[in-house]
Amino acid sequence: MTSGQLSVSPPPPPPIPSQRDPLVGVALLGIAAIYVRALAFTPIEARQGAAQKIMYIHATSAFIALYVAFVLMAIASALYLWLKDEKLDRVAESAAEVGLCFTTVVLVTGPIWGKTIWGAWWTWDARLTATLFLWFIILAYLLLRGAVEERGRRARYSAVLGILASFLVPFIHLSVYLFRTLHPMPILLKPSSPSLPNEMLVTFLLSFAAFTLLFIALLRLRYRIATLRDYVADREQERA
Amino acid sequence: MTPDNASYTTAAYTLAAIVYLAYVLSLKVRLRRLRARAIALEAAERPRSERVAGA
Repeated sequence: MTSGQLSVSPPPPPPIPSQRDPLVGVALLGIAAIYVRALAFTPIEARQGAAQKIMYIHATSAFIALYVAFVLMAIASALYLWLKDEKLDRVAESAAEVGLCFTTVVLVTGPIWGKTIWGAWWTWDARLTATLFLWFIILAYLLLRGAVEERGRRARYSAVLGILASFLVPFIHLSVYLFRTLHPMPILLKPSSPSLPNEMLVTFLLSFAAFTLLFIALLRLRYRIATLRDYVADREQERA
Repeated sequence: MTPDNASYTTAAYTLAAIVYLAYVLSLKVRLRRLRARAIALEAAERPRSERVAGA
């Protein structure tokens, strides 16, 4: 090597993750336990009937998608724009995709509850419409990521879109107060104490814990995929 | 009177399970494909002598 040349060694490769991930299995077992508790061991609400039990998966999925996944996506996106650390871009990407999965469950289970209580599968009410709109924006976010080749530009564009999308979260939360809406008022996230009997409240909180564990497991798995994908792309580019 | 709408609840729980399980499956498939590519790349980049010694 001539003097003046720098020998830059490539970063060490990430360990290739194993196919097995016990956390995902544990989280799925937790969800199965919640299904059993909610369907078999939680009392039926007198006015709504068994359909009220849809809340244990609908509301918890909505809570995690809106207040955990998309807030995490926005924070990671903002930090990426500041620090330019690829890990933050991967966190934002992973949170967006897992959040989209949770929002899909919200949009699938909500209309089933609506049909039994309102007599209609769907109504163009502020909260429902805004949630559907957010679902499309997150879908667009993921499509954008697939469309832009250059990694730095892809991360910048999607960080901006991710931050803009997250502005819908407080709007969705407040929409039941700001507009005349059919959607029920919050039962937990409100200034006064929760308006649920104890047995239902315990099921709801356990459900929240189980779905949070599922979110963490899926986020971790998705992040590992993003890391490995970037590693493989770098190596393939080096070889080409 | 309490309405009988248990079938709607069953449908909602089933559909939610399908969405979550399908997503877990899609992640597993993506991870498996990427692992295979990464292992193939590492094997191709290993020096020939190492490959002969390891064989």
